[in-house]
Amino acid sequence: MQVDFNAPYKNRVQQALNDPNLRVAVSKATDRMTDARLASMDAVEGQKLRSQVRQMKQHVLRNWPDYLQQLESNLTRNGCTVHWAEETEDAQNIVREIALQNSAKLVVKSKSMATEEIHLNHALEEVGLRVVETDLGEYIIQLADEPPSHIVAPVIHKRLEEIAEVFQDKLDMPPTREPTKMTSLARARLRQEFFSAGMGISGCNFAIAETGAICIVTNEGNGRMVSSMPRVYVVVMGIEKLVPTVEDAFLQLQALCRSATGQNLTVYCSMTSGPRQEGDVDGPEQVHVVLLDNGRSRMLARGYGEALLCIRCGACLNACPVYQEIGGHAYGSTYNGPIGAVITPALAPEISQFKELPHATSLCGACREACPVKIDLPRLLLDLRSDLVQENASPKTEAWGIKSYASLMSSRRMYESLGKMASIGSNLYAGMSGGNIKFMPPPFNGWTAYRDFAPFAPKSFRQWWKERSKLRGQT
Amino acid sequence: MSARDTILSRLRETLRQPHLPFPPAHSDPLTHAERMTVTHAEGDPWTLAERFAQELTAVKGSCELLETETEARLSIISRLQLWVEEEQAARKTAEAERAGDFDVLSWPLEQLRIESLPLILKEIGFKLIEPTDLHDPQQRERIRPIRAGITTVEAAFASTGSFVVGGRGANARAASLTPFRHLVVIPFSKLYATGEEWLAQMRHAGRLDDYLRQSRNLSIITGPSKSADIEGNLTMGVHGPKVVHAILFDDLQQ
Repeated sequence: MQVDFNAPYKNRVQQALNDPNLRVAVSKATDRMTDARLASMDAVEGQKLRSQVRQMKQHVLRNWPDYLQQLESNLTRNGCTVHWAEETEDAQNIVREIALQNSAKLVVKSKSMATEEIHLNHALEEVGLRVVETDLGEYIIQLADEPPSHIVAPVIHKRLEEIAEVFQDKLDMPPTREPTKMTSLARARLRQEFFSAGMGISGCNFAIAETGAICIVTNEGNGRMVSSMPRVYVVVMGIEKLVPTVEDAFLQLQALCRSATGQNLTVYCSMTSGPRQEGDVDGPEQVHVVLLDNGRSRMLARGYGEALLCIRCGACLNACPVYQEIGGHAYGSTYNGPIGAVITPALAPEISQFKELPHATSLCGACREACPVKIDLPRLLLDLRSDLVQENASPKTEAWGIKSYASLMSSRRMYESLGKMASIGSNLYAGMSGGNIKFMPPPFNGWTAYRDFAPFAPKSFRQWWKERSKLRGQT
Repeated sequence: MSARDTILSRLRETLRQPHLPFPPAHSDPLTHAERMTVTHAEGDPWTLAERFAQELTAVKGSCELLETETEARLSIISRLQLWVEEEQAARKTAEAERAGDFDVLSWPLEQLRIESLPLILKEIGFKLIEPTDLHDPQQRERIRPIRAGITTVEAAFASTGSFVVGGRGANARAASLTPFRHLVVIPFSKLYATGEEWLAQMRHAGRLDDYLRQSRNLSIITGPSKSADIEGNLTMGVHGPKVVHAILFDDLQQ
């Protein structure tokens, strides 16, 4: 069963929970990735690595405009063309313009969350371009007409049988359950696209400010294909994806690989410093780098700068009990899981556009422990909830409830009398329904829809303590 | 105001705010002295070569360690011959041999400094294809069916079983990318304990910045292409080579 992206949040969650395949697929994959991460971080000085990457990224943010200018200047010096995009539409227009100027008809893409964020495929298809995703997982979900559901494992929500059906339906593949055969077919089909494409597009895992190099990390090699084979190569990078030096890049690379998949290093880390020069056999003739803000500067100003440290490894998704239950699509946003629940509203023009997401969490803290840059995600989620209240974006009943609770808790007399009333009332009601309360009126029916509600204790703690003290002869 | 200026001035203005929750006002850079080496390796060249082999094998690559240039030459030849036999056997047709079986997408092998290697390979029937412009449709079509590629490296790291290939001049990026099998030849003189050590030496020699700029493209490769996207099932050779075989030889004794 597929999650309906246009449905309200609660319905999406319900649809996800009703899909047993989804839970099996997601739990299996996230458990595997979590085990691999833990083993990989334990094999080295993992805590030190986390602290050092955090320190490095924190320094970048403090000197953000300077590093951006350094990167721009070095990219330009290397022969790249640098574009700046404030919002989604600006970035879409820039890439569309590059494609049209170069008469590109076919675009091959390497997996990129930044391009998902700006819905680039759709924008390019609108002007008649054919866009082909080339990461195997992305290719599968493009065939299935679905968005990715995980930052590094886009097709994590599908089981083998479902993927086999996609290959059968969309690529006319004879029925098979063999992943190697499916992969071979994808390789053959995509090889044709790589050799014919006029333009390649990728995101950027990190850009090195001191030399002006764009780094992309893949296991399949599609990133190298996309950045080497077409005549035009376009990079869409979030403006926070910066590291000062090559050594910093190598440090972050290792933190990323270990946290994402538990590998020492991914198979390919490709660093592009500029277009091909005379005498080079291959490589793009043009390299364009689109520096995308799209809410990042807004996020810093709103006080959510810590989330800009994120290196998009997906470790917090794998560790999150909520993500494991509902998968990525139920969040209804490009970024999902704990980091998505923070950056989606924080990037948006209005936080209240995604007011449910800060509540899509158990606040257990597993995400903070998993994060390779130690982002305090539970605190940021609480900050977002607080901002939502400030913006009056939370439901009126919730605001009223909290207000009443505050006045109740600040008056001992009122607290005690209400406690007494609740105890008498709930025990009477429970007595009529056989021991436990099986139904409560709204807004409390959310609780009794899934479980019974135990009545209040007949005596309050203070009362019990008083009686106990009397029995022992104390005052 | 341009988008660039708007973004930069917005960031500057925000960072000037005294009570900005993040980042802290004093955020020191990570210095060269304090930056850690993540994965360690140490020892003499043979110990490092053994570690390299162990790490590459762990990620489904394969490796040979050889004592001399002559052994390396023989090994390169026999490996390429073995691959041709495997390709022909895999086809299982009556006419198993096809034109192009002996084509090898290659970097100019003179840079390997293995005496007579290109000559001998040619003599026994291999065609070393060294394209000059892969945006030329004819040359592109020519390399498309080639099943084997041979390159050397800029550097290799023992601690992770990784090697670095550059992409400038006659060294085609495609040679380590488009064929089904990649034979990589690594003299001990290019083998470093760790990536960090290689970077430190380049930095110390004052070559790092220029080297990266002039390279246009550098790729760190750690094993054959792979994916676990189909419900966690590991499949090899998704876009890049399915087979990566490294031949390491001791060129330091010579």
